[in-house]
Amino acid sequence: MTRIGLIVNPVAGMGGPVGLKGTDGKVQEALQRGAVPNAGNRAREAISPLARDPGICFLTCSGAMGEETLRNSGVRDFSVEYRYADESSGRDTQAAARKFRELAVDLILFCGGDGTARDIFDAVGITVPILGIPAGVKMYSGVFAVDPGRAAEVAHRAGTLPLQDTEILDIDEEAYRAGKFETKLYGIARVPVLRNLVQLPKAIHAEQDDDLAKDGIARFIAEIMVPGTLYILGAGTTTERIARDLGLEKTLLGVDVIRDGECIARDADEQTLLRILGDGGEARIIVSPLGAQGFVLGRGSQQISAEVLRRCGAGSLIVVGTPQKLADTPHLHVDTGDSGLDTEFGEYISVVCGYRIAQRKLLSR
Amino acid sequence: MQTKILLGEDQIPREWYNIQADLRTPLEPPLHPATHKPVVPEDLAPIFPMELIRQEMSTQRNIPIPEEVREVLSLFRPSPLYRAKRLEAFLKTPAKIYYKWEGQSPSGSHKTNTSVPQAYYNKKAGIERIATETGAGQWGSALSFATSIYDLDCTVYMVRASYDQKPYRKIMMQVWGAECLPSPTDRTNAGRAVLARDPDTPGSLGIAISEAVEDAATHANTNYALGSVLNHVCLHQTIIGLEAREQLVMVDEYPDIVIGCVGGGSNFAGIAFPFAGDKLTGKHPDVRIIGVEPAACPSLTKGLYEYDFGDLAGLTPLMRMYTLGHDFVPPAIHAGGLRYHGDSPIVSKLVHEKTLEAVACYQNDVFEAARTFARTEGIIVAPEAAHAVKTAIDEALKCRTTGEEKTILFNNTGHGNFDMSAYDAFNQGKLADYEYPADLIRASLAKLPKIA
Repeated sequence: MTRIGLIVNPVAGMGGPVGLKGTDGKVQEALQRGAVPNAGNRAREAISPLARDPGICFLTCSGAMGEETLRNSGVRDFSVEYRYADESSGRDTQAAARKFRELAVDLILFCGGDGTARDIFDAVGITVPILGIPAGVKMYSGVFAVDPGRAAEVAHRAGTLPLQDTEILDIDEEAYRAGKFETKLYGIARVPVLRNLVQLPKAIHAEQDDDLAKDGIARFIAEIMVPGTLYILGAGTTTERIARDLGLEKTLLGVDVIRDGECIARDADEQTLLRILGDGGEARIIVSPLGAQGFVLGRGSQQISAEVLRRCGAGSLIVVGTPQKLADTPHLHVDTGDSGLDTEFGEYISVVCGYRIAQRKLLSR
Repeated sequence: MQTKILLGEDQIPREWYNIQADLRTPLEPPLHPATHKPVVPEDLAPIFPMELIRQEMSTQRNIPIPEEVREVLSLFRPSPLYRAKRLEAFLKTPAKIYYKWEGQSPSGSHKTNTSVPQAYYNKKAGIERIATETGAGQWGSALSFATSIYDLDCTVYMVRASYDQKPYRKIMMQVWGAECLPSPTDRTNAGRAVLARDPDTPGSLGIAISEAVEDAATHANTNYALGSVLNHVCLHQTIIGLEAREQLVMVDEYPDIVIGCVGGGSNFAGIAFPFAGDKLTGKHPDVRIIGVEPAACPSLTKGLYEYDFGDLAGLTPLMRMYTLGHDFVPPAIHAGGLRYHGDSPIVSKLVHEKTLEAVACYQNDVFEAARTFARTEGIIVAPEAAHAVKTAIDEALKCRTTGEEKTILFNNTGHGNFDMSAYDAFNQGKLADYEYPADLIRASLAKLPKIA
């Protein structure tokens, strides 16, 4: 029996259609502008195909946070394990997620956007796999299924699927409303993944194992490292694995600098990087695409600024990413904030995805 | 305008063309893996019959094809030369595109051109079993066919990625009576060593070669057969180019550009060498000859021209060739037959001396070309052959720009009827464009064995 904890953020996505670029703290304004709650409908699209699955046991929250969705989807047997009072909030999302963890669910299936993903990650971290039914205004994190139907397919097999590290991004909503897109890597969650349904079993071995691919990437990067050269390692689990293979501890969400097998700066900000680069010498930047949209530069790791990149040279960039990650992102994004610099990367970018193996990926800006 | 240009059975060539006779300088010798001294025939005798060793080292220009071999080859040769009229019209090119269609052999590819003589010479030498490796399965099935003709046993070590992707190839081999194993296996020291390091390895031609060579070297009744790379394999394949040259004469043509895909180099050698001979001897100095390799495994365009082993374990002689390093395991692209770290020493030498050219193509671009070909000419080609299709189309499109009426000849090495999962992945936009990170990799190529 697969135990799924369902959390619906009933106000998710309301801000988008009325031009609020997000719903956090703006529910009343959204309602005044004529927004209509729609998250329940999105959740129902994902739940309905599972309604008669005898192998799934749903646990959920009261009212609009899940109970209504299950009932409207035709699910007969479920238990309400968390009840909220008045209007639901992020705190309710967190409390429900913690409750589901206590009850040892196989998956927390949530319906919402980036804000909901952050709340759940805050509550349970990587202790419970999570999966998002997309319903928010912003869904830059990688924890969302492509659509509700796909979410249903994954949920159906939760507990048996391999898990993948996936970034949760933190977007500053106030800045976003002001037309500035500022994100940073908020955390790394664990998400079940369903690979190509039509490919023959074992068709492409190395590509199916995220961990094996990271090993290959780390082994290759270690092989090409040159004494005396500075290596600026961006955020994420792939760069973290590179450092770990060198016997170094790396900040998962920050930018570290290594040289000659030693870490010379941890969680460095832009000024620190510029100061270190000021000492001269060769430098290379190693980053991994972040989030569902595959941000390579600019978003998610602003420490590696246009100025830092210019000091190192566009040719100094080494992008790394596992084949699984790359399969989920048809093209990658570069947005350094300097359009002239962005164009230096050309139409395609090469991404190291294994031991002496790379992929050509289309770049969009 | 003829669509098919056909030769009669009596026009099957009676001699193979040995380009070693026309090389500007002699081929650098293969070196013994332990002593690094030039290999002598006795070194190869434990795994090859003497007649094939003689062919390997011969500099005689024309080598007779035994009548018994011609008789078996007549099951599927001469192969037709097609004029790709519909493709030309679709591309709106003034170029004339011809292709040699090798997909009509029993196993569906050009590989039977060498499997038949190799099985024949082994049978004559009293050998009872042949061990070999196969990438995409084309060579393994071709050798299985040939060993069944000559009543020999056959053990095929098939690269595991292909074994899983192409189960029908495995079944073909079994129908012809061969034993087909996913490589690496636990039967050989070489296979066990790889499995201990990486139990989930997709395998590679380099690993499979190590296993087959070890099998042959450790069993007295067993010889080894290679489906590409070696000089005698390239020699047998020249039957393709020799026929094509005669067929083009029948329509009063000589190619401006000759194209073939390159893995180990044998089909490319087969279509190219008779024309490369014309170039080397000054008869047609301007003919361009282009080898097309995958961007994922670009030995000719991104490798080093150095001595390297032909296999992963370092059991084979060292050969001077373009190589990505014998320990390179290429990504599991669908053109499995092109996943080889090295290249034929003769092809490599001719590329190094600029008699031949080389280009590399991305997987999605190659399948796009194959789809265009299928929709115009009808044939769904193997992913390997699609590399040649891609470059033929590129060259024809250049002619559209320049207005030149060039004659383009390419080798269409086989059908893709067992490659539908690859086409399906392409149709769904799920093919990755693998490439070789050449700039980053130079440091690791320093690990090639150093030969004084």
